[in-house]
Amino acid sequence: MSLRPYQAIIADSFRSALSSRVLWIAMVAIWLFLILLSPFGYREDYTTEFRNQDFHNGTRLKGMLASGLVDPDVREEPLGLIASAVPEDLQRQLRLVGKGDEVRIRYSVLTDALNGLIEDESWYNAQSWQSTTRLRELRELDEQDVEQLSDSLRKRRARLRIEAALPGVFEARASRSILLTYAGLDFPTEVTVDKPQFKMLVNQFVLPLIINWLLGFILIFLGILVTASIIPDMLQPGSLHLLLSKPVSRTLLLLSKFVGGCAFVLLCVTQLVIGLYLIAGLRLDIWNLRLLWCIPVSVFLFSVFYSVSVLAGLRWRSPILAIGVTVIFGGICMLVGFIGGLSDGLVTGPDRLSHLAVAGDDIFATTKGGGMVRFDASQNQWSEIYESGPGNRDRVLAPLAISSDQIITARVRGGRMNPFGSGAPELSLLSRKNDWSPEPSLRLPTGTTQLLAPKKIAPANDSIFALNTSDLLTTTRSEILLAAGEQKEDAPTPESDASQNTPSWFSKLNSLIGGKTKGFENITPERMPLTQPRSVAVVNANTVVAISGGRLMRVEKAPTDRWTIAKQRTLAGDNSLDTLLAVTGDQLMLARPDEPLRIIDLESLQDLAELEMPTRSFATQLVGFSNANGDDTFLVVLSDGTCRQVNWKDDSKKRLNDFARIGPNEIETLSFDQPANRLFFAHNVDQLDAIDVSTGDTVLSIRPSVTGWRQVDQLVVTPLRWLTPQTGDLGETIATMISGKSAFSFSSGDGERETIRRKVAGPVISCTVFTTVMLMISCVYFATRDF
Amino acid sequence: MNLSPVVEVCDLRKAYGQGSLFRRRGRVEALRGVSLSAKSGDVFGLLGPNGAGKTTLIKTLLGVVKPSSGTAFLFGQPAGSSAARMRVGYLPETLRVDRHHTARSALKFYGRLSHMDQASINRRSDELLELVGLQGRDRESVRQFSKGMYQRLGLAQALMHDPDLLFLDEPTDGLDPVGRNEVRKVIERLRGLGKTIFLNSHILQEVEMVCTRVAIMDKGMVLASGAIGSGISIDDNGQSDAIIGSAIGSMIDGKHENAAVTFDLLHPSHQDSSNQADETIRKCFDRFENSHAVIQPLTSPIATHRVVVTPSDDQAVSQSDLDRVVDDLRSHSISIVRLDTRVPTLEDTFMRLISSQQG
Repeated sequence: MSLRPYQAIIADSFRSALSSRVLWIAMVAIWLFLILLSPFGYREDYTTEFRNQDFHNGTRLKGMLASGLVDPDVREEPLGLIASAVPEDLQRQLRLVGKGDEVRIRYSVLTDALNGLIEDESWYNAQSWQSTTRLRELRELDEQDVEQLSDSLRKRRARLRIEAALPGVFEARASRSILLTYAGLDFPTEVTVDKPQFKMLVNQFVLPLIINWLLGFILIFLGILVTASIIPDMLQPGSLHLLLSKPVSRTLLLLSKFVGGCAFVLLCVTQLVIGLYLIAGLRLDIWNLRLLWCIPVSVFLFSVFYSVSVLAGLRWRSPILAIGVTVIFGGICMLVGFIGGLSDGLVTGPDRLSHLAVAGDDIFATTKGGGMVRFDASQNQWSEIYESGPGNRDRVLAPLAISSDQIITARVRGGRMNPFGSGAPELSLLSRKNDWSPEPSLRLPTGTTQLLAPKKIAPANDSIFALNTSDLLTTTRSEILLAAGEQKEDAPTPESDASQNTPSWFSKLNSLIGGKTKGFENITPERMPLTQPRSVAVVNANTVVAISGGRLMRVEKAPTDRWTIAKQRTLAGDNSLDTLLAVTGDQLMLARPDEPLRIIDLESLQDLAELEMPTRSFATQLVGFSNANGDDTFLVVLSDGTCRQVNWKDDSKKRLNDFARIGPNEIETLSFDQPANRLFFAHNVDQLDAIDVSTGDTVLSIRPSVTGWRQVDQLVVTPLRWLTPQTGDLGETIATMISGKSAFSFSSGDGERETIRRKVAGPVISCTVFTTVMLMISCVYFATRDF
Repeated sequence: MNLSPVVEVCDLRKAYGQGSLFRRRGRVEALRGVSLSAKSGDVFGLLGPNGAGKTTLIKTLLGVVKPSSGTAFLFGQPAGSSAARMRVGYLPETLRVDRHHTARSALKFYGRLSHMDQASINRRSDELLELVGLQGRDRESVRQFSKGMYQRLGLAQALMHDPDLLFLDEPTDGLDPVGRNEVRKVIERLRGLGKTIFLNSHILQEVEMVCTRVAIMDKGMVLASGAIGSGISIDDNGQSDAIIGSAIGSMIDGKHENAAVTFDLLHPSHQDSSNQADETIRKCFDRFENSHAVIQPLTSPIATHRVVVTPSDDQAVSQSDLDRVVDDLRSHSISIVRLDTRVPTLEDTFMRLISSQQG
């Protein structure tokens, strides 16, 4: 069969669209837009001025500055020097804080004060700063001659000195940040990111946003306007009968017209995307070839809408009706997408399991909705222990099984967006004998975000660790049990005993800067607060591995009961990246986005191996365990929801993909149940599978029955979303294509990372099926009807 | 020349408007058992009032419309098959060419639709643009084209792939007299090349001038079809000669539309005894065998009698009878003032057939 006639038809419909005035207006608009974008540029400068978002722990800053003012012991120390250099007004307020008054100090006042210090460095005293932990960057700057430093480098040095004097207060920031410029002028807002983050930001969010709006909305609409007349024009008697009298197949004739319309959109999209690609490359130095993927995806998106326009055009032979029907269809798609998004956010989202704990046969989980649930096998449902829901402002710490009959957790009220929450939380003990109802135990250190324990918690006095915003603290299981028992007998005393013998203002100040809490011992190495990004893994009761701001350290409990850094090492690379740690046997696994997985020797902290990560994913959870044979194994949960089992012995395997997959897809979280040697996988919102690690068999499979809105979601919303093409979600496919990542993560405000998985294949499949069905209906209609 | 039928239609029926699931409309029978055939080289005229089914018939033959029952073959292939459409050219009644085309680009487009290669397209375009008189204006946008120019372009595209069968729907519509004449010449030339042409026209004289066969349709049926008289010929000036014999050979209801012969006579002794004169003339006309003669007296100074001879059966008035009557009349010194062997025109037949249908 010769394809010549069909090529001619495609070219003809293309030319027909080309002769449209709307097209030329669109082209001019595209070029104007590109011309407007082209003056964007960037300038890199040292990160000097403080910004509100630089504070990791503003309360601690307040507390530290106040103690610097009121505590005579630190007057000559950097903290004291800085505190006495801030403006008088602020000093007055800080003194009130020091006296224990509730004083609200706005972040902007604090940043202005600190930025003032950067300008005038008269507070600096080299002698005092000798005792601080100085970053290598600061040490190098200190060694340089003042005369040789540029103004911005001098400011940078001042900032680093302030940061060194106030440990645990600031977020890790790259030393250089990006300044956006437009036609050579600085943009009013400084983006406090470094170059790689800037690239990531542009690729992950800015470009997908522009593309989604311009291509996904405006250009598609223009395309529909221009191409809507192709089919009705073809159906005009003088034109159609002539076409049909030619030796061409009707089906192919229609499909050729369809392709011709799409070819026209291809022309527009190609101009825009190549223009954006060149601007991003030439002006922002971001050469992202993946951007070109937007061309086929946008044409594909257009084809979904155009298939509707074609059928409407065939049926009613009117361009106006074809446009109208297509716009209504687009509205329906958006509405279904909106309902779907609402359902995800309000119905299924809060039910997603975020952390698991297994005590004997009972399974506990925290939910994304800030609650805690226990699986009730008799009802085949998760029953709530702490309320979970979309509007919930509380946060429940990941539960920790401390025996086969007891778990501990804590509910931080108002802690959803703020690590401190409102008021100091209590540790809750849930035990089988009390039918798993929470009982208050020890008061937790302020701002606790994570509870940790060694894998084997057999002896009664084994350590339990609590990580708060800056410190790692330890207590023991027996202390927790005791506290729960005591408080059960006596009336609960809200005020901690720690404050009994000291003035109350001092205890308040102490709690502000994360000081002592009864029952807990701070084991953070001196002057080494665990600032973000950080991660802690417990090796055993006496050994902990931690990473903080790029410094990897093994902290051990000496026979003298003091915790000291036994070994430490600074990691190369971008130290502002989120880090995950896991430990098993004598190996440590470390994961950072965009870097290979590292397997590190626990003793020497030196790299044993690097495993290449799959291109589109990053690790979201690491778990280390020893299986029944004593083999040390790591589990790596990836952002695409799959899990790989890394059993590293030699360096023959270089890539994570060389290792076997384990568990279901769409993993939410996983947990290793040491006593029973089982791996628990929470997946697909709130389903659960357990795998026996010695046999590899699935020993438990929980598919909870759903009720209420979840049922509506399952029976109505989900089928509806599958029936309508998920055109809105195709934007996520585009974002994945541009960023090269199928997921992204962000800090959710409570110290935890939230990972959003983008839909990639689903929208493509649903749109392909829809378009195919529409075209088939159109072809059958066109081929069988008399005209 | 291959004399097997180029077009063969047998009991073709087409009913429209079975209606959709939701809207049942009345059923319109556009074709009710049409049968006809055209041989190679025929110029077949399709006549009929609006709504007669002519367009449906052509659309069925082109494969645009699928018949409800019956068969239609073009060149022995089912009508509408790709093989049949390869050899067919079509000029629609109102040609619509996309506004972005020029005459040349439109010809190129239609040529490619007919599977032509670039070289043949270029060659044929040049030939045809000249043939239809569009050379020199072939690079103008069709937006500036008049109705006549569209029609010329339509004719050119229909001929583009050198088809053996042409369907021309109102080919001279919108053309000036010179243009009409040119189109007629083109049709004549094509007939000379052995092409078969199906012509759909409202202009009966035109059909009469160029067609070798006609079919008259009404209400989805062929009322009459046949060859236009053998004596038909068109001279160089496009004028038709006198027509002898029947216009249409066969009629649907078995009747013949035959010529009546009229004599206007002047009897020399008319003034003396009209009865005797009447008797002489009657005797002369008694020699006609299967015809019926009616004699009427006239009061004109140049003629005394009018005799109208009507054939009484399916035969035409025979030439030998006519010769004999003329000899007899002259031997009685009767002057033949006028002898009229008038054949009814196509229009007469058309009107008679259509009005009999409607009556």
